[in-house]
Order: sequence, then C-alpha cells, then structure tokens
Amino acid sequence: MTDAVAGAAVRSRFPWQGAITLAAVLAVAFLVLLPLVFLVEESLNVGDPMAFPPQEFGIANYFAMFDEDINVLWNTLIIALMATVMAVLIGFTLAWILTRTNVPGRALLERLMELPYYMTPLVGALAWAVIAGPKSGFVNQLWKLGGGHGDLVDVYSHLGIAWVMALFEGTVAFVMIAASMKSMDPALEESARVMGASKLRTTLTITLPMVMPGVLGATLFVFAEMLGSFAAALVIGIPARIYVITTAIWDSTLSYPPDYGRASAMGLALFIVMFGMLTFYRRVIGRGSFATITGKAFRPRAMDMGGLVWLLFGVCCLYIFLAVVLPIGALLFTSLQRFATVILSQAQFTLANYQTAFGLGPVRQALVNSLTLGFGVASVGVMVMALLVWTIYRSQLTGRGAIEYLVMFPQAVPRLVFGLALLWAWLNIPIPIYGTLWLLALAYFTVMLPLGVRTLAGVVLQIDKSLEECARVCGASWLYQMRTVTLPLLRPGILAAWLLIFMACVRELGTSVFLMGPNAKVIAPSIVAAFASSGTELTAAMALIQTGTVVLALVILFRLTRGATKELT
Amino acid sequence: MKDRIQVKDLVVRYGEAIAVNGVSFDVGRGEHLTLLGPSGCGKTTTLRAIAGLEQPTSGRIAIEGRPVYDSRTGVNVSAETRGVSMVFQSYAVWPHMTVFDNVAYGLRVRKQSAADIKANVERALDLVQMRPLADRAASKLSGGQQQRVALARAIAFSPTVVLFDEPLSNLDAKLRAEMRVELRELQRRLDITSVYVTHDQEEALAISDRVIVMNVGVIEQIGTPEEIYNRPRNRFVADFVGSANLLKGQATGPGFFKTADGTMLRTIGGGAGSEVAVRTAYIDLVPPGMDATSGDNRLKGTVRQRMFHGDFVQYLVECPCGRLIVRRPPTNLLDEGTEVTLSFSPEHTVLLQG
Repeated sequence: MTDAVAGAAVRSRFPWQGAITLAAVLAVAFLVLLPLVFLVEESLNVGDPMAFPPQEFGIANYFAMFDEDINVLWNTLIIALMATVMAVLIGFTLAWILTRTNVPGRALLERLMELPYYMTPLVGALAWAVIAGPKSGFVNQLWKLGGGHGDLVDVYSHLGIAWVMALFEGTVAFVMIAASMKSMDPALEESARVMGASKLRTTLTITLPMVMPGVLGATLFVFAEMLGSFAAALVIGIPARIYVITTAIWDSTLSYPPDYGRASAMGLALFIVMFGMLTFYRRVIGRGSFATITGKAFRPRAMDMGGLVWLLFGVCCLYIFLAVVLPIGALLFTSLQRFATVILSQAQFTLANYQTAFGLGPVRQALVNSLTLGFGVASVGVMVMALLVWTIYRSQLTGRGAIEYLVMFPQAVPRLVFGLALLWAWLNIPIPIYGTLWLLALAYFTVMLPLGVRTLAGVVLQIDKSLEECARVCGASWLYQMRTVTLPLLRPGILAAWLLIFMACVRELGTSVFLMGPNAKVIAPSIVAAFASSGTELTAAMALIQTGTVVLALVILFRLTRGATKELT
Repeated sequence: MKDRIQVKDLVVRYGEAIAVNGVSFDVGRGEHLTLLGPSGCGKTTTLRAIAGLEQPTSGRIAIEGRPVYDSRTGVNVSAETRGVSMVFQSYAVWPHMTVFDNVAYGLRVRKQSAADIKANVERALDLVQMRPLADRAASKLSGGQQQRVALARAIAFSPTVVLFDEPLSNLDAKLRAEMRVELRELQRRLDITSVYVTHDQEEALAISDRVIVMNVGVIEQIGTPEEIYNRPRNRFVADFVGSANLLKGQATGPGFFKTADGTMLRTIGGGAGSEVAVRTAYIDLVPPGMDATSGDNRLKGTVRQRMFHGDFVQYLVECPCGRLIVRRPPTNLLDEGTEVTLSFSPEHTVLLQG
C-alpha cells in the first residue's frame, strides 16, 4: 500500500528532464545525421543527377574522380603538403621561441599569435591577393617602380595558395606544438644537465625526442585540415584556374545541370580521408608514449639566448607583420582608394567604398542578415547546447556517450561537405525553407554544435557535482535546480560560447555558399562574389567591416572571460 | 520506537565493481549513527544511496517507514522528494549566492512565506554563529565558515534526517576538533536523526551513539563506540579503530589462550580463534621491584625503543611472544634497555573471530 502511494507520488511529477532531453536529442540527430544519409545516397546516384530518389545506383562517381579529376587530386595533395610544411615550420619555430627562450614580451606575443586565426583565411586570401597579385599587386607595383621587369611574386599559384593557408589556417600547429613543449616536465631536462650533459646534448637527446610526438601529431592534424581547406582556394585558386577538391566540389554544383552526384562522391571521399587521419591521430595521441601532450602544464625553464634574443623577437614580429599588420594594412589602404595603388602620387583617397558597402542594398542586407543569424543562432543555440552538455556530462542517462559522439560529429565533416549535404537534403525534404534564412540558421546551429559544446563542457566539468546534488537533496526539482544553480554557475561559459558562436556565424563561408538564396544573402559569400565581380576596393571595405565585427566580439569576449575568471577564483 | 531509517540487503554495483555488498542496518529516532571505514569501503556510497543520489542494484531502503527504494517493487523515490537533508564533503556552498540565499534555498523550494524564511534562516544561522555574515557572498567565506553555512543550510528546513558525508575532512586539525564539539552539541539540541560518514576513527568514536565499521562493501561490526573500542570483533576492527597489539596463538578453552611461544593468557570472548587483541593504552609497564595488579595477564619484556609524542609516550617492548607497542602517560619515563613486566587485565584481552 505504502509502496503504491510512494510510487504514485513520484509518477505524478511531469518528467521535464526526460521530455526536454529527448526533444533536444531527436532534433540534433535529425539535423546531424539526415543530411549525411542524403549525401551518401546521392553519391551513389549514377542516373539523372537531379532525380530524387535516385533511379540507378553505382559507384561510377567515385571512379570518375581518379579519371577526370586526377589533376584536382594532385593539386590538393601538393598544396596541402606545401601548406603543412610551412605551417609546421612556422609553428615549431614560434612555439620554441615563445615557450623555451627568454624572448621579451612572451605573454603578449603568445596572445597575438591567435590573431591570424580570428582574421579568417577568406580575409587573409583577399589581402594577399591585393599584396602579391600579378601586375596590380602592391609588391609588384613597387617592383616595377623600382625598375624590375615582370612580376616579383605571384600569389595566384600553388605556392601562393599554400602560403595563405599556412598563415591563416596553420595557427593550430603553433597551439599544439606549444602545448607539447609546455607540458614537458623541466625536471627531465634538468636531470640530464645535472648528469653532465651540455645544452646542445640535452636538446638533442632529451628535448627533441620528447617533443617529436607532439610535432608529428600536429603535422598530421594540420595536413587533414589543409585537405579540407576552402576559402583560400576559392578566392585565389579559381581565378588562377587551380582547382583543389573543395573548389571542385563547389564548381560541380554550379555547372548546368549541377552534378550533385560527382560533388557528393568527392565530398564523401574527402570526409573519409580526413576522418581516417583524425581518428588515427586520436589513436596515436591516446597511447601512453604521447603523454607529453596531455597532462598539466609546467612552466619550462627559459633558455637565456643572450644577444640572439632580439633576432628571435624579430622573427615573432615578422610573423605578426606578415599575417596581421600587412594584410590589414593593405586592405585598409585599398578600401580607402578609388583605384588601388601603392604609388602615393596616383592615389585618390575616398570613403566612397564604405558608403557603397553600407548603402548598396544587397551588401547591407547581407551584413544585416549575418548579424541577425549570429544573434539568433548564438542565443537559441547556446541554451540547447547547455542542455546537451549537461545531459552528456552530468546526467545518468544511458546512451549519453552516443549523444556526445553525435553532437561532436559535425567537427569531423569538412564544413563545405556538410554544406553540400544540407543543400541536397533540404532541396528534397518537403519543408520549404530552402533559400531562406531559416535553413541557414539550422545549418549554422548544426555546424557550430562542436564549438559550443566544447566551450560549455569545459565549464560544466569545473562545477563541483555536489553543488547540484545539494539542490536536489534540499528538495529542488530538476527544472528548479537547473534554473537556480546550474545555469547561474554556467553563466561565464554561456557568455563565452555565445560570443564564439556569434563570431563563427558572422564569418561562416563553407556552408553558406551552398545554402544562401537570392533573398537570403550573408556577408562572407557576398565578399567572395564582390571580389569576383566588382573591384577589390569595395571588397576590401566589406572584408574590413566583417573583420571589425568579429574583432569587436573578440574584445568583449576577452573582457568577459577575464572578469569571469576573477569572479570564480 | 519506530526506526527512522531502515537499510536492508543494500547492494550497489558499478559495472563489474561492487561498492556495497549486502549491507543492512536500522537507525532509530534521534540516533546518531556513524559509518566508519577506509576509503573505498562503500560508506559514502551507502550514504548517497540513502539520499537518493546513487542508484542501488538491489535491496530496500525505507525512511520514516516509507519505502524510498525497493528493488523488488521497483520503487525509487527521487532525491528531492525523500525529505532528507545532507552536508557534503566539499560543502557545496553555492558561490553565486549570499549566505542567506544559500540557507534559504530549501525553504524557498518548500514555498514558505517570506517572514517564515527570514525567521528560519536566522534561527539556523544563529545555531552556527553565522548570522552577522548573512549578507556576505558565499564565495568570500573561509573553509570553516563555508562548513557552518553548509550545516545551517542542511538544518534550516527542519528535516528529521540529516546525512553527513565527511563534513569535517577538509578542515585543519584544530578547527576539526572545535567543530566536532559543536556538531555533537547541535545534534543534542535539535531532535534530528543523523547518519555520518567518516574515515577518522577518533571522530567516529567521539560523536556517535553507534558506529558501523565497514570494509570492502560489507559491515565488519556494529556497536556503541565503547563496544567497538573495547570488544573489537575481528582483526580488521581491532586494527582500524584505535591501536592494538595482535598476538598469535590458539584458544585452548573458554577464557584461555596460548600464545605461539607457550604463554597462557586469560581472555574474554569464547569460541575458537587464533589471535587476541590488546589495546596499546591498556597495558601497564611495571618496573623491576614493583608489583603488578593481581589477576592480570603478565609478560616479561625489555624496553627496546622509547618515542616521546607529547600527550603520550610510546614504548616498543621486546617479549618472548613478539614486539608489543605500549602507550603510557608521559610521566615516570622508563629508559631503553629496562627489564619490565607487562600487565593487562583479561577484560582487555579480546579473542578475535577467525
């Protein structure tokens, strides 16, 4: 009897936790998995490429890659290899200087190293097109002014594309290598010195072998990223008629009739190669021999470099100059002129480009759309993500490991391939949101899931579990506990995630190029379109407006996170 | 008298590992029960199962006669509706609230009126002498103050059962001793039933009506602090609670024990057994020329080592049956090398079970 009463008392409460969690998980599964199912199906379509569902199945699309598109694969491989080598060399040098030597201003320099990443490869590519384009590029203008013949540099080449990719997408190499150098216990080197080994001998026999796994891991990771890189190849590669796999995918959806089968096969092949490499990378990292990468950070003893220190400082400054100051300066200089020239006597300075950018209907609309999407997706998305993160890391729900895998999955799919998958899926799903901002919002939410979840997870894991348990023991229901304890404690993380998602939305290119409709334009693809059709001057103004928005959000983010960490400690 | 808490055949598994393996006990009205054991013995898991924070594998838990978990009928009442209160090891004081808000939480959940909330919070804060700090942000409190807030929060909504999960383990030794006294005082004043978890045997003996000694998921002994200390049932309890000398040998009849070297000792506790325990504090050291208390067990020995600890002196005495540790008050010090007679009552010579 009492059992029945107690049971009824429990059942009478509406299971909010279960209901809300189930709804969120189903929605995410729908958003993440369905497009990929459509993509796989389409890649096997060998009949009419526009037919849905396909009438004939086969693997001809995959074979076609090695036949018709063999030079695309070749280009992809060469450019990715060149970019990886450059990125790892730059990353290793900078990481070594900033973690192991007594170069002045290390803390500030380390912060500045993040900037190229926030500038985005799209803006970087535009800037370097202005700096080192043939004939009209600033460097070549100066070269001719100085009496040179032909072009000194040409960014519209394999090496040029790789250079831009390395500068603006290779930052991760620096981060990973620096982490492996930082996490090395200085006692390992000190004991070698105590045993009588010289500085050089210690470096060769202890330091390098310890850091090597981190460097190899970074190389693998960066190479996988470079294979899926899109922006630089789009801006510089297409005018130069150098196609890599990502731009080839993009190009085949533009042909008439669009060849979605070929695009899907290439997209899936790219996904499988990248996924395989990243899985291999994780496997290797997971093994004990790579222990230097994880674990806590030590403060390694900085080597006293004497007078050499200024040379090393110069190297760091050179990088910042090439990846931040020069590109931004070049774009600014261009955007303020009627016709871009580096020869001051011919320059006509004007604000007309900014007037056009803000005044021209489509451009202004694209900017407004991007900001609206950023606000909307960040605001709604972050709450759903907070719930998912809580479910994954805090609840007792069975299958929460599978949910984690699900939400992190978009990270493994190249942005562009995900965009293609969403395009094909929503062309065929009978919900008429294709070509509207709604589809872009759904797409942004889906591809931002890993970013938001990772940011929030860091904060959730820091919250002592008993803070929540105590609320339950005090009699609070799940909803009440979430509202009064969990969400308030998560606030710094939620703010950080909001800003990161906002920034990522404003600069989003890979999925946007596929999903943008004539009445739903967003800023990043519009910049690309402007570069192809209008002058560089207007494009530069647009790129700077976008960068300015991101930088503003970034400044707020730093302010907030600094305040929040102060509050917590 | 009806039992406040009943735990029957409780089993908690995590996959292959068994944390709690068939534990049964009752806690009476107003009783203060302590679960004592080394880390990993299942004491915290048992407590969390009572609170509803841990899902047991099987067994039965009833609070105030109401089943809150029963593996056979499928009853599993969620933590927030069990009506128990708990003090956490980490205090779990919410850093984003003031002291007042922390203590008022359980009252607000119960939708009390603003006036009642104020009165109850102030009463609870008075009990732990924290009322002057009511408006302070919880993140600006010291460890000892957080501990008091956690305590006030746990008792503010007048629960009948309060669970304590090692509440004093994060305090320094001096503060811990102070809080122990206050906690005992508080338990007496409020008519609450408490279950207390600790790995500190001194704390367990000092504040409990009854102690349950646990090891690897099972109960080794249940009894009052005096029973646990004076009559340890087996080797584990004798060794874990207090300090004891364990002598090997064989029980030769009711009340008699022959050590390995042939010395006959009189004991309490009948039955078979191959070990006796003698507390280090219950052994008297008699210098040559003095008489030992009549009727005591006696052993001849030589002082091999003397260590001065301040509150007591510890001697290592070499005897034919092995080396014995003896703790005496720091008066009449004996030098190393002195021949002594060890004398201890049969009352304190406890035959241990298997």
